[in-house]
Amino acid sequence: MNWDFIFKYLPLYERAALLTVKIGLSGIFFALLIGLVCAAVRCYQVPFADQLAAAYIELSRNTPLLIQLFFIYYGLPKVGLSIKPEACGVIGLAFLGGSYMAEAFRSGLESVDKIQWESAASLGLNSAQTLGWVILPQALSTSVPALVANVIFLLKETSVFSAISLMDLMFTAKDLIGLYSKTTESLFLLVVFYLIILLPVSVAGSLLERRLRHAGFGD
Amino acid sequence: MKNLSKLAALGIAGTLALSLTACGQSTAASSASQSAGSAAAAPAASQSEGSGQIYRTLDEIKSSGEINIGVFSDKNPFGYVDENGEYQGYDIYFANRLAEDLGVKANFVSTEAANRVEYLETGKVDVILANFTVTPERAEAVDFALPYMNVALGVVSRDDDVIETLDDWNADDSIIVISGTTAETYLINNYPDIPLQKFDSYATAKEAFQNGTSVAWANDNTEVIAFALQNSGYTVGIPSLGSADTIAPAVTKGNTTLLDAINSEIEALGEENFFHADYEATLLDTYGADYEDALVVEGGKTAQ
Repeated sequence: MNWDFIFKYLPLYERAALLTVKIGLSGIFFALLIGLVCAAVRCYQVPFADQLAAAYIELSRNTPLLIQLFFIYYGLPKVGLSIKPEACGVIGLAFLGGSYMAEAFRSGLESVDKIQWESAASLGLNSAQTLGWVILPQALSTSVPALVANVIFLLKETSVFSAISLMDLMFTAKDLIGLYSKTTESLFLLVVFYLIILLPVSVAGSLLERRLRHAGFGD
Repeated sequence: MKNLSKLAALGIAGTLALSLTACGQSTAASSASQSAGSAAAAPAASQSEGSGQIYRTLDEIKSSGEINIGVFSDKNPFGYVDENGEYQGYDIYFANRLAEDLGVKANFVSTEAANRVEYLETGKVDVILANFTVTPERAEAVDFALPYMNVALGVVSRDDDVIETLDDWNADDSIIVISGTTAETYLINNYPDIPLQKFDSYATAKEAFQNGTSVAWANDNTEVIAFALQNSGYTVGIPSLGSADTIAPAVTKGNTTLLDAINSEIEALGEENFFHADYEATLLDTYGADYEDALVVEGGKTAQ
């Protein structure tokens, strides 16, 4: 283990980690938005939009992120649409994550018993009140474990960004190995930095799960 | 249950980190598990017999009946896969002959520029024949055999914006390089202010350059000249950059039996002008006859 090498290239990894987190979080934010919209559309069976969302979910869940990135980064310029690598990363992650988030939200919404709607109605709540105070809190508490798993999954998926020339953690490690053949040090830093990013997310996720569990009905 | 799985995950992560740090001391032990995913490389690791040796000696290769050769699969016309799925090109032509003369079957393993050293250090391949430029830094990590080709760096740019010098560089423009190539090292050392757009394979770099991602692409001059000849609208504004280098086969550090066998093979092939025949079979269509004497190194002897 060459510690001089590790300290010398630490700033490079910090920059890469920032990029990973920045693109990861932006992608996840949009994925949550897409997921919420798709889940709502599917749950309420909005005509046409329902089928569209279903098609999108199948397309996005059954193609690898790498292929989606290739289409966005290398394919779209062929039809005159050039997008910066960073934006491609965010779009790709949101496209992939949107479907996973949609399914997580949907499983939550569907887990809320029909009787909850009826009981709320009998108490005189209108549908917005029912959704906001009765349905969503229960649905979310069911969805949270799946949502947290998706967040971690998406953060890890950023490791394929090297394909579109983004200097993320994975590419930085590969590049340093290629340049200086310091495999052990480069991979050690890679694992450490992924753990620094992902462990807090994982811990925060399980705390969140524990806090939200009480919202369930009939436990 | 949840806590248990979290513990297990931590444990796995910890073991992984530990085994990585241990890698430097006992490469043989860990290479066995590393190559588990690659069937082709499995015999390479299993024959090390715990002696700390990761490579396979000439005798071990011969008795296995197969030599693992790391080549490019996307660098036409040096190493690429043709429409029938067969490896072709200048490097492959030599690789096939080498395997034939050693009396073994050639098993091609596709590599990317950045992991060529890595493949040798972990014993995933016996020899790298992937247009590998000899440099002092690389010679510390692997053993190079005699050269079989000349090379320098070159920079290709668009016809309407030909770049002829790297001085006075506009800091908003970037140059495309491939991670792990001599072009990358050269630019980092000599033009640290030029922003580099790095790609991990020839195919993606080429695609991005054609999409107009950057104003120029720096690479081995053989490659950029071939690119400009094969695609209209591009000019090699800087045909020769940096020092004149050579390309040679490389083996794992210390694998002298294989190294000696390759060296005597290259010397013997010089007598029959093998690499000129190789050029005419694989490179003539791309470069024409003009570059033949400039590119080919025969019998391991460079002009200088």
